[in-house]
Amino acid sequence: MTLRRLLASLLLLGLVLSTTVTARALDKLDRLRLAEEELLYLPNGRHIKLMSLGHQALFADLFYIWAIQYYSNYERKDRYRYVEHVFGDVIGELDPYYVDPIWLGALILSVEANDLEAGLRLLDRGLTRNPTQWIFPYLAGWELYHRREFERAAVYFGRAASIPGAPPVTRRMRAGMFSKAGLLEDALRQWQEVIDDSASDETSRRVAGLQLRELALKRDLATLRDAVERFRNENARLPRSLEELHRRAYIQQVPLDPNQNPYRLDPRTGEVRSTAGRMLGGE
Amino acid sequence: MIDGLAARVPPPWTAIRAIALNTFREAIRDRILYLLLVFALVLIGSSRVISLMTVGDENKIIKDIGLSAISIFGVLTAVFVGVSLVFKEIERRTIYTLLANPVRRWQFVTGKFFGLLAVLALNVTLMSVALFALLGFRGASPWGLLPAVLMIGIELTIITAVALLFSSVTNPILAAVATAATYVMGHLAWSLQLLKARVDSVAGSAFCDLVYWVVPGFDRLDIKTEAVHGITLPSGFLPLAIAYGLGYAAVVLFVACVLFERRDFS
Repeated sequence: MTLRRLLASLLLLGLVLSTTVTARALDKLDRLRLAEEELLYLPNGRHIKLMSLGHQALFADLFYIWAIQYYSNYERKDRYRYVEHVFGDVIGELDPYYVDPIWLGALILSVEANDLEAGLRLLDRGLTRNPTQWIFPYLAGWELYHRREFERAAVYFGRAASIPGAPPVTRRMRAGMFSKAGLLEDALRQWQEVIDDSASDETSRRVAGLQLRELALKRDLATLRDAVERFRNENARLPRSLEELHRRAYIQQVPLDPNQNPYRLDPRTGEVRSTAGRMLGGE
Repeated sequence: MIDGLAARVPPPWTAIRAIALNTFREAIRDRILYLLLVFALVLIGSSRVISLMTVGDENKIIKDIGLSAISIFGVLTAVFVGVSLVFKEIERRTIYTLLANPVRRWQFVTGKFFGLLAVLALNVTLMSVALFALLGFRGASPWGLLPAVLMIGIELTIITAVALLFSSVTNPILAAVATAATYVMGHLAWSLQLLKARVDSVAGSAFCDLVYWVVPGFDRLDIKTEAVHGITLPSGFLPLAIAYGLGYAAVVLFVACVLFERRDFS
């Protein structure tokens, strides 16, 4: 009896050991990895919805968690081919209201895959499905800002700002993009709108006030310097004062700087300056 | 004389209540029930761990897993406990003793139905409390999930009635398969309308319509996604969905009673 028990125990131990050894040996085998081909047959979310039997949101979560792990593996080459499909067609179709996968997918596309347009397409799809989610055009605006496409960024920030409930920063960003694009008049109008908007908060109004001062300074300096240049070209000398520029109709009026002080013209060099510029970090 | 007899015959709900209570007591002694409940509670608890793997809103994952666990384990309980309810009584021959008493067959089936429903209500409540506590502990408001839990309860009511219907006419294995098939068909019913659009023949189209209206439209009752995202439901949705679900369950229960009345035990 004791011998049988001993033999049985030894047999069990042997089986456990051999299973462990086999498992370890299997792990060490250099198996062919399918890489991105494994995604080739990943069906559309609408088809997976059929299989989910009413648990499509749970399936969306599971696909999202899987996608995070999948795209965190930097050893995979050419892993960006199906990002739009995974995040837009699969997860997006399973749970159209799920915001996180859309912005993460867009981030992977624009930052890691360097495919800005695909990232924007994904964010656009997110907005189409969720017209109240200002975060999608807001993120699209930031992606374009990083690529220095300020005018397109302004359009996206404007779209975000037009969605009810969007925070004031969206309007500030829109106005800021016009400034960055060098469209001074548009920027001045946008910043003025931020000040006039009753929905704007104290921070937005303060930022808008500073921006308006800086842009007005830039605009005046550009106008005055241009007038000085034209005067020099036409008269073969520099103007003696800003009043002379006004008298000779090179400028419509002699402006005051944002601190209500006159601009200063150096008649020897033709340089126009403002004391307000130092305070504003400008000239 | 007639008055005296009438006084001795108890009202129908007395028998239904007694059978329901007995079914409830019997079911909560069933090991499979505890197993399913523990499994569901473990899953709800572990959803916190799963949520750590996400980027973004972790509570969304916890809510999804929690609601799906309540639904899936509720369905499993309804199927596994429901399909053997009537069969057990026949197999043990206790049905003869029961029916020898002034208990009508339809009262027996209805009592079984309400007994199992009480078990499911207890299960769903326990699982919901676990989920709500987990969310509350994390500082997330769980109350928006209440309509979804209510709809899961309505779905389980239908499945209980279906399980009881099949349990009244066949053995537990067949009943389990048929109930599971009804569950699957009920969740795929919406796709029949897509199929109908692709079918050319009138007969095919009519068949799609027939199946679409006959099988329980669980998709109509599913508001888990809306509840998790806090999306407002159309006005009047909840009363309509409750009326549809309870009406459907009542029809199935009625058919189960009729079939059981006609069943020959000899």
